[in-house]
Amino acid sequence: MLIADVSETYTDLVTMVFSSTIAAKAWFATAAVVLVGVQLLTAARIYGRLSFLPERGPAIAHIHRWSGRIAFLFTLPVFFHCVTILGFQTPDTRVAIHSLFGTFFYGVFAAKVLVVRDHSLPRWALPTAGLTLALMLVVLWVTSSLWYFTTVRFGF
Amino acid sequence: MGRGWRPILIGGAVAVATFALARAEIFAPSAPAGGTAAGDFYNGETVFQRECAGCHGDGGKGGGAGPALFETGLDATEVSAAVQQGRGVMPAGIVTGQEQADVVAYVVAISSPSE
Repeated sequence: MLIADVSETYTDLVTMVFSSTIAAKAWFATAAVVLVGVQLLTAARIYGRLSFLPERGPAIAHIHRWSGRIAFLFTLPVFFHCVTILGFQTPDTRVAIHSLFGTFFYGVFAAKVLVVRDHSLPRWALPTAGLTLALMLVVLWVTSSLWYFTTVRFGF
Repeated sequence: MGRGWRPILIGGAVAVATFALARAEIFAPSAPAGGTAAGDFYNGETVFQRECAGCHGDGGKGGGAGPALFETGLDATEVSAAVQQGRGVMPAGIVTGQEQADVVAYVVAISSPSE
């Protein structure tokens, strides 16, 4: 009974703002993808690319860290709904790809966080981990949010 | 084993834990009341938003050509009949098969009066 209440409470809370739980997920994931775009731009600047952006330094690093933290927070309600309520499903190719990438997403996230903190690793390790994580989020977004916006409805 | 393997091992462990959690579906809702055990509420929600919300409104709260369904106390038999046979300007068979079962589960759930 308690477990059923969790699902109902989540649905009730989310539909106070959004039209449906899937609409909420689509917008949370979109926010995360936008912030990942910020992550990629600031990371490129930190690595000396995109010189048209403001100077390298603490401000860029600060924006990079906080955009990542906020993006992570936006993924949490999506994780809660997808993993604990919907689970791993493979009814069609889109959902199977989404489930597979979703399963590995937080594993790659954990690896990336560890790579950031381990300065003994090769220089290519961090951008590789970061780009892999960004690519995974984009695939997850395309197979869920973009699908929802283009085949179900575009709205809150 | 080198220190460089640590992120991969821990990342792999997190992925395995996520998969186990997803397989468990610990907060998946139980079958909705009204005899629609075959229907999936969340898939029904998606189908409803795609096929029904244009007339019945977001979440079945009304606002379109069709009546509001939210907290109206419909049961599965009524909803199934409306979907299969149509009602008023609503054509028959808008959704069929598993999608019908799912949307019936969703409509029965949202039409349950709140306690």
